[in-house]
This record gives sequence, C-alpha cells and structure tokens, in this order.
Amino acid sequence: MSSRPDAGAPGQATAISGGTLAGRAGRHPSRPSGTPVRWRDRRFRRRSGDGPLAYFMIAPLVVFIGALAIYPTVLTVVEAFFHLDPLTPPDHFVGFGNFTDAFSNPQVVTAMENTGWYALFGVVLTVGLGTAIALLLQRPFFGRGVVLAVVVLPWALPGVVEGVIWSWIYNPTAGVLNSVLKSLHLIGQYQLFVGAHRIESIFLIALVQVWQITPLAALVVLAALQSVPDELYESASVDGASGLRVVRSITLPLVRPALAIATVEALVMSLNIFDQVYVLNANATTASSIMTTTYFITFQDLNFGQGYALSLTATVVTVLLSIVIIKVLYRKVEY
Amino acid sequence: MTRRRWSSLGRLVSLVLLVLWSLFPVYWALKTSLSTNAAAQQAPVQMLPSHPSITSYQALFGAGPEAADAAGGIGQALVNIVVETVGATVLTLAIAVLAAYAFARLRFRLKNLVFYTVIGTLTLPVYATLIPLYRIMSDLHLVNSYIGIIFVYTSGFLPLAMWIMYNVFLALPLGIEEAARIDGAGALQTFARIVLPTARPGIAATAIVTFLFGWGQFIFPLVLSSSSATQPLTVLLAAIDSRNVPYPIINAAAVVAVAIPAVIVFFLNRWIVTGITAGSVK
Repeated sequence: MSSRPDAGAPGQATAISGGTLAGRAGRHPSRPSGTPVRWRDRRFRRRSGDGPLAYFMIAPLVVFIGALAIYPTVLTVVEAFFHLDPLTPPDHFVGFGNFTDAFSNPQVVTAMENTGWYALFGVVLTVGLGTAIALLLQRPFFGRGVVLAVVVLPWALPGVVEGVIWSWIYNPTAGVLNSVLKSLHLIGQYQLFVGAHRIESIFLIALVQVWQITPLAALVVLAALQSVPDELYESASVDGASGLRVVRSITLPLVRPALAIATVEALVMSLNIFDQVYVLNANATTASSIMTTTYFITFQDLNFGQGYALSLTATVVTVLLSIVIIKVLYRKVEY
Repeated sequence: MTRRRWSSLGRLVSLVLLVLWSLFPVYWALKTSLSTNAAAQQAPVQMLPSHPSITSYQALFGAGPEAADAAGGIGQALVNIVVETVGATVLTLAIAVLAAYAFARLRFRLKNLVFYTVIGTLTLPVYATLIPLYRIMSDLHLVNSYIGIIFVYTSGFLPLAMWIMYNVFLALPLGIEEAARIDGAGALQTFARIVLPTARPGIAATAIVTFLFGWGQFIFPLVLSSSSATQPLTVLLAAIDSRNVPYPIINAAAVVAVAIPAVIVFFLNRWIVTGITAGSVK
C-alpha cells in the first residue's frame, strides 16, 4: 500500500499484498527442491560464481532502498525526539517534547478526529462497494471487458485531478450536484456542501477518494472470487443452498484474505488521505486530515519537531493497524 | 421465474449505475471544458455542451485573451510530468528487473534478509519518509531538480515493481534457462538473451503500473519540486485550481491531466489488471 511516493491510489497499491505474500519467498527455493538429478548439484557448485553476479544485480536496489527509504525512516524515528528548528537553533534532544507539543495543538487534535472519520467512511465504503462490484462482475457477460476498463479508470487518475473535478461537481453556485438535487426537489436552494459542516465535508471528500480506490478493492476481491473452484458452487446448488446462503457460507469465507488486503489498503490510504483534502479543504480545519496538517505544520509553519512527531505517530499507527487487521481477517484458504 | 427476471433487471440497473459512477465525473470535466464560462455556470445545468468550443484549451496553452492569467506554464508542467514519470519508470524497471531476477533464480548470502527488508518498506506510509527526504534532498541541492524527484519516485516504486517482477520470473519455466546454461551460456547471457524476452509481458505490466503511479504523484513533488521549472502537471493543476481561473479552463487543465492515464486504461487495460492483481491474491 502506501508505498511512499504514493500515488493516491496506485502507489499504495499493494504494500500488504507484498508483505503478506512475501512469505512465498521463503518457500520458494531458487530451484525446485527434490529434483534428484546429479548434474544439477554440480552445476550449483560451479555456479558459486553467482554470488558476485547476484550482488551486482541487487546493488542498485539496495542503494536506493537503503538511502531513500530506510535511512529516511530511521531519521524520522530519531529526529522526532529532537528539537529541530531552523529559526531557533541549536538542535537538541527533547524526549517526548515534540509529541506533547503536537498533541496539545488543537489543530492536530481536530485533524486526528477528522482522520478517524476519513478512515471510517473510507474503509466501509471502499470495501463494501468494492465487494459489490466484484460480485456484479464475477460472472462473464457481454461487454464485461469494457465495463472492467471503465471501472478501473478512476484508479488510474491522479488524486489531485479528481479533487479538482469533484470540487467543481460540489460547487456551491453552479455545481451539478446542487442542480440535480434541486431538480429532484431534495434541496430547496443551492448549498455549500464542502466547508460548512464538518462531518458532511469529510464524507464528501472521503467519497472522492473512495471513487478513486474502490477499483483496487474490486479487482483484489474479483481475483479471489475467480479463483474459487466452480465445483464448490455446483455442489452447493445441488444441496439446494439459496443464493444468500452461498454467498455467506462459501464466497465470503473463501475471499477473506482478499477482503483483509482490501481493508488494509483502504485503511492505509484513508489514514494517508492528502491530495483530495488539499484541493477541497485547503488549510481549513473543517475537514483537515493528519497528512494535510502535518504538511502545513512542517512546510508552512516550518515546525519540523511537531511534523516529525506526527509523522512517527502516524507511521506507527498505520503499521500496527495493518498488522492487527491482517491477523484478524487473513487466514490461509484451502479449497 | 419472475424472481429471475427481476434479478437480471437489477443486475442491468446496477451495471448502468456502476458505469455512470465511474465515468460521470470525467465526462463532466470534459463537458465543462468545452463550454463557455457563462454556459458552464447556468442553473439548472445542461447535461450536454450547447455550443462546444475549444477556446479553453487554446487559452490554457497560451492563445486567446484569457491566456496570460490561466496558462501559467502548463506546457512546461506537461514536459516536467512526462520527464519525471518516464525517467522514474525506466530507472525503476531497470533496477527492479535485475534485482528480481537475482532473488528469483540466483543463490547468494543474505538473500532473504534483503528481500524481506525491501518488501517490508512497502508498508511504510508517506509520513515515514517525507520530511527527511526533503532535508536530504536540500542538503544534496536536489530540490527542484529532475534527478532529485526521479530518485525519490524510484525509491518508492521499486519494492512493488520488484515484487511483481519477482513473481513474473518465478512463473517462467525453468527449462529453457537450464538448456541455455547447459549449452554454455553464462548467467548474465541467459538473463539477457532468454529470460528478458520471455518476461516481456510481465515487464510491460510493471512498466504501465509504475508509469501510472508516477503520473499521479502529488505530495512529493509539492514538497520537492514545486518551482515552475520542475513542477509536474499535478502540482500546477492544484495551483490553477486555487487561483481565480474560469471554470472551463480549470476543467480543461484537468482533462489534459486525465487524458494520458485514460488512454492507457482503455487500450492497455489487460496489463493494468495483471499488474494490480499480481501478488495481491494468488
């Protein structure tokens, strides 16, 4: 998921998938074991020359990941406990000082509550809609390929662009949402949707991100659905199970791992929501997220200490929540 | 039987709603970009542009009366986003393919440790690296440079690209490689002559997904390359949106930013689905 340079959605594509499935690496020796052919062993011995070659092949990866992912993360962990202010030097150790500063900052407290709402709306809507879409597209029908391409589209678009497009849809004086709701007599007059009420603003901004990331959840669940053997469904229908019963007793348990992955991805992406909030909420507190607040505190107020404290807290919470969800939801499936 | 008819009707309605949900926002931006400013703000809205015109696009690219206000260097921003995205994609692929092959086929010490560490960085959120990367890039004088942003993108895209390519290589049949080795080809030669051509579909899928990630970047270039000489289209678009620019021109800029990913989705969709689901659930 949220790989660092993260595209709203794309970057975050598959962190967990990666993480969880990496388990395979260990189970896949570089060659299938149990092949008793003799010459193969000799080849291995001769191939001890692979060592230097292998190091040469992974060197660029190690350098990039080491210098631009691991080293910065270590810096975040360390510097969160230091006073770092270009305006009031020198830098010095302050223990949890940055954290107490950050958590007593009302802006931060609001942003944390808001982000809780973002996560709630984001996870429920993304996983719910994604699963519904996957079930809808599960069986082949005429034009399924086209529909699939259409469904993937929002995932491929930049989050900022989506923010811009949707802010025009939500526009208080000429937006299409106002116009449609008014023609349906659902509202009496045009309204300010984003910026007036906190929860409403958060919901509408979360919806923009849901629009973007639902395709990912749908594809992950769809892939799992399609790997469920047909015989299971056949024997269920022979036994006279109803549609709902089949979904509950066969489909859901078998796509659990996929649901776990989709949930974690949605959670991480909504905890990291930035692009959509930046465009639709700017630096107002109404619908601020932890990510936007961290950005403004760090790069506008130049308060690196609080920025680091928030970053470290958010990183730890994100990683821990991901692990918990995976532990609870993810179980190996055997057919 | 009536129940069955109802359920297929329900399916059809759901599919129509799904397509509308996915396409309408993009359609709406396109429609607005082709309208005049007055027509765009009519109430109630018109679902089709009454007199479609491309004046907003002309203004955006520096022609017409509204150009000076609106354009703000979209041409440069387009060049920037292409250079940065393509640069990061090429670099990511080159590094990921080499490493993934080593992890999939070669034997060496510390293999698992390095592999899991790299994959583990996938779980790091943006927060973990943003501020330090800004400080590191400032120290190296790489803020507002193509190289700086390309390096940062690459470090972020590498783990996933490597993971996808690793699975691609694992899935290749071992036989041809062994035959080549028996015929006396070295590991490197086997890799270049046999493995790479066979893995081309996997490489294409990885490249496309990586390109889309790069195209969508926002917070990293906002922090690391926001000068007009290096800012990608996404950063400029957010700036245009906060200026007092007529709605059709803002939407025209959005459509420009949407065009390339949309073309990729419609023509290379199969690769994307492969790329996304590779590794997620198997």
